[in-house]
Amino acid sequence: MRARLAAVLAAALLAAAACSGGGEPEDGPTAGGGSILGKETLVVGVRPDLPGIGFRRPDGTFEGYDVEVARYLAAKLGAKPRYVPALAADRETLLLQGRADLILATFSVTQERKKRVAFAGPYHISYQDILVRSDEKRIRGVRDLAGRGICAVTGSNAAERVVEERGVAARLVPARDYAGCLDLLKERRIDAITTNDVILAGLARREGGLRLLNARFNEQRTGVGMRKGDLAGCEALNRAITEMYQDGTAARLLRRWFGGSGLDLRSVHVPRFEGCG
Amino acid sequence: MARAAVQVGPSPVGGRRAADVPRRIRVLAGAAAAALAVFFGAVWMVAGEARDGLRVIGHDAGPQVVATAGLYLALSDMDGQVALALLAGEERGERRRAALARYERRRGEAGQALLRASALAGGDAAERRTVQAVLDGLGRYERLAARALLLDEQAPPGDAPAAALAVYRDAADLMREELLPQAYNLTLESGTIVRRTHDETRVALFLGRWGMAAAAVAALGCLVALQVFLARRFRRLIGPALLLATVVTAVYACAGIAALGGAAETLTRAKRDGFDAVLSLARARAMSNDMHGDQTRYLLDRERADTYEHTYLNAAQSVYYVEAGNLRQYHQGVARATPAERRPGFLGDVLARRPSGAEPLAAYGGFQRADARMRALAEERRGEAVALRLGALEKAYDDYDARLADAARRYVAVFEGAVREGEDALRDVTFPLPIAVIAAAALLVGGVGPRLGEYR
Repeated sequence: MRARLAAVLAAALLAAAACSGGGEPEDGPTAGGGSILGKETLVVGVRPDLPGIGFRRPDGTFEGYDVEVARYLAAKLGAKPRYVPALAADRETLLLQGRADLILATFSVTQERKKRVAFAGPYHISYQDILVRSDEKRIRGVRDLAGRGICAVTGSNAAERVVEERGVAARLVPARDYAGCLDLLKERRIDAITTNDVILAGLARREGGLRLLNARFNEQRTGVGMRKGDLAGCEALNRAITEMYQDGTAARLLRRWFGGSGLDLRSVHVPRFEGCG
Repeated sequence: MARAAVQVGPSPVGGRRAADVPRRIRVLAGAAAAALAVFFGAVWMVAGEARDGLRVIGHDAGPQVVATAGLYLALSDMDGQVALALLAGEERGERRRAALARYERRRGEAGQALLRASALAGGDAAERRTVQAVLDGLGRYERLAARALLLDEQAPPGDAPAAALAVYRDAADLMREELLPQAYNLTLESGTIVRRTHDETRVALFLGRWGMAAAAVAALGCLVALQVFLARRFRRLIGPALLLATVVTAVYACAGIAALGGAAETLTRAKRDGFDAVLSLARARAMSNDMHGDQTRYLLDRERADTYEHTYLNAAQSVYYVEAGNLRQYHQGVARATPAERRPGFLGDVLARRPSGAEPLAAYGGFQRADARMRALAEERRGEAVALRLGALEKAYDDYDARLADAARRYVAVFEGAVREGEDALRDVTFPLPIAVIAAAALLVGGVGPRLGEYR
């Protein structure tokens, strides 16, 4: 009804509108190139460096949970995804410089980030967790990390959060990346790796002899990063995420990428959305 | 009249043949009638759009926000009361019974809110699935909660036993990870519907008013042209019927366009000054109730205390943002903040820099101070911390929540007032519409008919 009326009126009014010039300001849906809606291709930033989540294969293509979620959401919006690598430090820049339309790269929603970028979703709730050697019996929770060596990856604040937020006096051992952490853990130079549970699950699945504690201490709300102001696009993504959970895709994808890793996947439910307004 | 036709009608003024005159009158009158039909049709359609928009916002999505926010609060508080009953234990029997009574009350409210939400969801398949999922989950939650409470009763006096805690943990996870997010998303979805309807209706009204204006100008042009033609042809200065038709059309067009402009304004006022604030405050109340539950769970389940402290901080940041890496810094930041500052978060959004906002913000400060005191005691003097939770902290929360509810009621009134005003404005346009149509048609026929009659 509304579309038909708009079409009829628009046709009838072409002349009048053409003569009249500008009208009153309208706070309607984002016009033209701003919105992700209506684009044929959506450029999606995904992690190139995290197995199981976003990982660049030797042939240059991407695989992982975030990659498949992005494909599902893009399809719901009637678009094709094109992936670009988004390392942790590049995520905001890619969006703000227009080099990516969406970011699905373990991008957690924070009030601080919301000053500069917007978030649809979250599409996944993960927790900060702890990965230990299978034979480790004494570490059962974050408090048990006091006095133990944990891995501090450049660019990630997960290890610092244990010390600063939780007030646990762990010993931070620097590493360049999570592969470096794995080496340190196997060489017994550290006792635990702590970060986002899905990252740990990806590592645990790739390497044997490791155990995820399911200690679940800091909640991380992983959202779809987008440019600010695109309310209609954000709302459409939220509806698509709701469908992804209702039609069972979310559970299927989580099991495909993290099944058998020790990550608790018994109950998979749509997260509380951040809201687009 | 017949004489006039003999004398005036055939006398050539423009040098055209007399047979052309009735044809030209008919063409002009037909064009005027068509333009009037388009104009009145446009009024009818545009008013219909505005009415649809107001109905969705005022009587569908708006009430849905209230219903689903009520659902969230009832669910969240159910879980909070179970935790409280476990925390109070047998030694504080009165508090335990009060918590259980409130749990029952909240369960009834949740059921009613689910029914309302289900009715308002209408034909939206995704929303209906969500309501159904919450209904199913609620049954499971009640069974878990009942088992946790039973295990607690069967245990010897003292802190809640591990077995009861383990079952309660499953109940709390079910509530917090499965049910509450869905209830919250239902509220957000109503917000989405309001925003879309508002934007679409604004665009439709904007285009529609231009359409009405163009049709009115065309109709008035035809009426004036007809008048001029008849005056020259029949040597009359004015035809009173046509003049009246012109005046009726002009007055109705001006009043109608202005009134629909007014309806567009009230639509925006209903959304911006009423609905948006209602939604933000509903979300603030929802998050705050979660935080209050997290305070209880923090004391009850020491193994997960860190997790509950962190979710408390996360929720607090979304309610009222203060830059802080941990909860202690947050408490300090809130103590330093003044109500005059505009801050991100639901409360900062709505209440900052408004005279009505000072009280709820001050009450939020009190709530945070009590929280800081409780946590300072929690490690070493747990008994005192529990007493504080049941005493001063409870009071601080109730006080804060009551002020939020007051503020929300004020904005609901703004919202409902604006919707009513818009509907009144539309009635002012559509009520005289049939009269205007009949009057314009009668006057047009009355003005042209006699002139045509002169040629029969």
